[in-house]
Amino acid sequence: MSTSHSIKAKAFLKDGKYAEWHDATFWGVRTKRDNMAFGLDEWEQLREKASAIKRHTISHLDEYLEQFAVNAEANGAIVHWAADAAEFNKIVYGILSGHNVRKVVKSKSMLTEECEMNPYLEKRGIEVVETDLGERIIQLKGQKPSHIVMPATHLSHDEVGELFEEKGISDEIGNHDPTYLTYRARLSLRNEFLTAEAGMTGGNFGIATTGDIVVCTNEGNADMSTACPKLHIAAVGLEKIIPDYDCLAVFQRLLARSGTGQPTTTYTSHFRKARCNDGEFHIVLVDNGRSSWIADPDHWEALKCIRCGECMNTCPVYRRSGGYSYSYFIPGPIGINLGMLRNPQEHSGNVSACTLCNSCQSVCPVKIDLGDQVYKWRQKLAEYGTASKSKKMMCDTMSRAFGSESRYNTATGAAHLLNNMPHGLVHCGLNPWAEGHEMMKFPKKPFHKVFEDLEKEDKE
Amino acid sequence: MSAKQDILNRIRAGVRDRHDMPVLDDIAAVTYPDPLAQFVKMSEAVGGRVIEPAAGEDLNSLVRQLFPDAREIASNLPEITIATRNPDTAGSAQALDGTDVGIIRGEFGVAENGCIWVPQAMKERAVCFICEHLVILMPKSRIVNNMHEAYKQVSFNDYGYGTFISGPSKTADIAQVLVMGAQASRSVTIVLI
Amino acid sequence: MKVGLFIPCYVDAVYPEVGVACWRLLRHLGLEVDYPAGQTCCGQPMANAGFEDKAVPLARKFEEKFAGFDYIVAPSVSCVAFVRLNYERLLAGHPCATAAKAMDIVEFLHDVVRPAGPLGRFPHKVSLHNSCHGVRELGLSSPSEQHIAPFNKIKDLLSLVEGIEVVEPERKDECCGFGGMFSVEETAVSAQMGLDKLRRHIATGAEYITGPDCACLMHMAGVAKKQGLDIGFKHVVEILAAGL
Repeated sequence: MSTSHSIKAKAFLKDGKYAEWHDATFWGVRTKRDNMAFGLDEWEQLREKASAIKRHTISHLDEYLEQFAVNAEANGAIVHWAADAAEFNKIVYGILSGHNVRKVVKSKSMLTEECEMNPYLEKRGIEVVETDLGERIIQLKGQKPSHIVMPATHLSHDEVGELFEEKGISDEIGNHDPTYLTYRARLSLRNEFLTAEAGMTGGNFGIATTGDIVVCTNEGNADMSTACPKLHIAAVGLEKIIPDYDCLAVFQRLLARSGTGQPTTTYTSHFRKARCNDGEFHIVLVDNGRSSWIADPDHWEALKCIRCGECMNTCPVYRRSGGYSYSYFIPGPIGINLGMLRNPQEHSGNVSACTLCNSCQSVCPVKIDLGDQVYKWRQKLAEYGTASKSKKMMCDTMSRAFGSESRYNTATGAAHLLNNMPHGLVHCGLNPWAEGHEMMKFPKKPFHKVFEDLEKEDKE
Repeated sequence: MSAKQDILNRIRAGVRDRHDMPVLDDIAAVTYPDPLAQFVKMSEAVGGRVIEPAAGEDLNSLVRQLFPDAREIASNLPEITIATRNPDTAGSAQALDGTDVGIIRGEFGVAENGCIWVPQAMKERAVCFICEHLVILMPKSRIVNNMHEAYKQVSFNDYGYGTFISGPSKTADIAQVLVMGAQASRSVTIVLI
Repeated sequence: MKVGLFIPCYVDAVYPEVGVACWRLLRHLGLEVDYPAGQTCCGQPMANAGFEDKAVPLARKFEEKFAGFDYIVAPSVSCVAFVRLNYERLLAGHPCATAAKAMDIVEFLHDVVRPAGPLGRFPHKVSLHNSCHGVRELGLSSPSEQHIAPFNKIKDLLSLVEGIEVVEPERKDECCGFGGMFSVEETAVSAQMGLDKLRRHIATGAEYITGPDCACLMHMAGVAKKQGLDIGFKHVVEILAAGL
């Protein structure tokens, strides 16, 4: 009955001490978020508004996209439209090669991860330097992000320290103090900022009425990436466009509070124009499935996501299985859902990673019905041909037993016989319940038999 | 058909219910009895330092006092006479590397989160990030309560760039330990004027 | 007021004493209660596993047995939540009276019966297990994620019990990891969640864990026994009815 997620989760949990640290670390972020949420009396109102704004915007996305493009172009930005990942990569490469760019400094963008842009550009001779510290660490380590906001949190400071020694970034061997390591990364990245010919950013928001691209960072790396090179390319998913500044205020207030438990990110930067007269500002609007997902009646609201990552932090399964247990590059509750939208055949193995506890949808700043959506995906696995056969058999059996009173009565009446089965037979590996549990003791009489006595007692 | 038209057509074909825009001006957003005090509190909470100079105190000597070892000071503000570099006349953004102290102007502050609105007002905005220490001169009379009020006030210069800055550049990407001074300025000092 | 008692399949088979406590408590409160014969399962296990179609015949059967009551009361929040939130869809095209009438027994006592107390006597320290579907689907308590005025209907009811001391564990409404089919499909995570939850309950110094869902209790009891952890388990109703 195992799934791709459950197999990797089991391996993750083998290192108990590490698993405990992982759980405590992300629960710590959840706690910080709670402090922020409980510090604002209007918190639930903000969530409600944020959800309603997104529902409105996504259901009028055609209008807002056009408005955004008109205003961005009026500002002097060059707007591109990419139907899919391949087209996106081609457009970016075209811009870069047209400017003879050899090196790009890049701030965090899950969209470029989604489109696998870095390897595409690198294959064509363009060096891509990630400048968010976490992203830089996993880039140097040759890994993928394990979390969308804290991509390298799965690594200990010793692992980062050893990596920096190996890459020649730190020179005091054995000094793995995070402050020292951060300082060494600063020096190393400073050099990259000064020598790159282009800067790339994602976009947390695009503002339809003004044409702004808004990027939120703590490190200032998006600003550094775009303050030196003359060429700036912003990669923006279609769903990032919002109507105006009044809407932006709502999301700005929710994003950092939800994501990291901060009152704001250090920088909330608005880009409207090229940096200088001989520079260029390109905005690539990327579809890559989004326009079709809008048509999915059960799952279109996944497009409301602002990528704060809090559903991962609160998810009891994510905290106890880690980002790499999921097959999609975005893990946790939102990742289960986006993975299924992307390719259900490939990512059905994540759908088991949910107890339906609904903490995710209770925490989500834009109120995506994340848990309810997982429930709905499970109903569709048979259609995708990815349902578990043994699970189906179990459900068939249950359904038959529960569907007939006589079969049900026989089963519940005889359940106590299981109590006398040899321990080894019950805990034999064919009974998955027994992996983590001792078997329950079944009573001699189920309630419906006991009830006959109760009724007599009542009449007396 | 162009990618743009394809995309827009797919959206139009896919949308089932068009949802209304919610009313936003009924948000019961937080306000403070003393917004300036709250702004100072939040600025310090996010790692910034707030200084209110004595009446008549010279800003240049204040900066000198705060950063006695600073060699390269960059600013295009007319009242800053100790600047050794000017972001308006610097040959390139790169030329501002090695700046110890950058001095810029902020337009207004936000009490709820310590944000300061900084529209680009110099040729090379790198000065705001590339310096080791950033000094922001900000009118203490201009504090708004929250981001809703803030976004009604933001304005841009011709440069077409502006940012809210709240404290120094920071990261917790290594083992969740908070470190000030990631890629941009390692400290922020707000001088209330 | 006619109350139909629904004792879900696994409670029937594993925890008949919880059914007895429900019956005794409701009768003690002077209610007209019936336990319709031939009831089995609401269909939740199959539906949560992804086989909602297998739940449809059970929903029809449930509707047949229970449609005539004013309230349908059960000692299992997740079963009640399943009926309330899904039956209308599952029975599409057929009348569905049960979705609106199904109530968890804690909810029913708190919101409808409103006993002034005192109820049972239970001179022990108990740690309250706030089951996910009770918290986030039925609204038995304010979810820890949401900034709303704190409340807890289970605590309110337990305050009517003589001699009891009620505490909550750290992470008061984090999931225990049962999740129906989750516990057999994601065995490692499920067991780890159960163990973590148990440790937090035990750290309160409580003698018993109590909650509104026998499934969570069954899961934790199984993990506790496997791990050799010593703590008792009681459904909330057993405590409310203790000594009646």
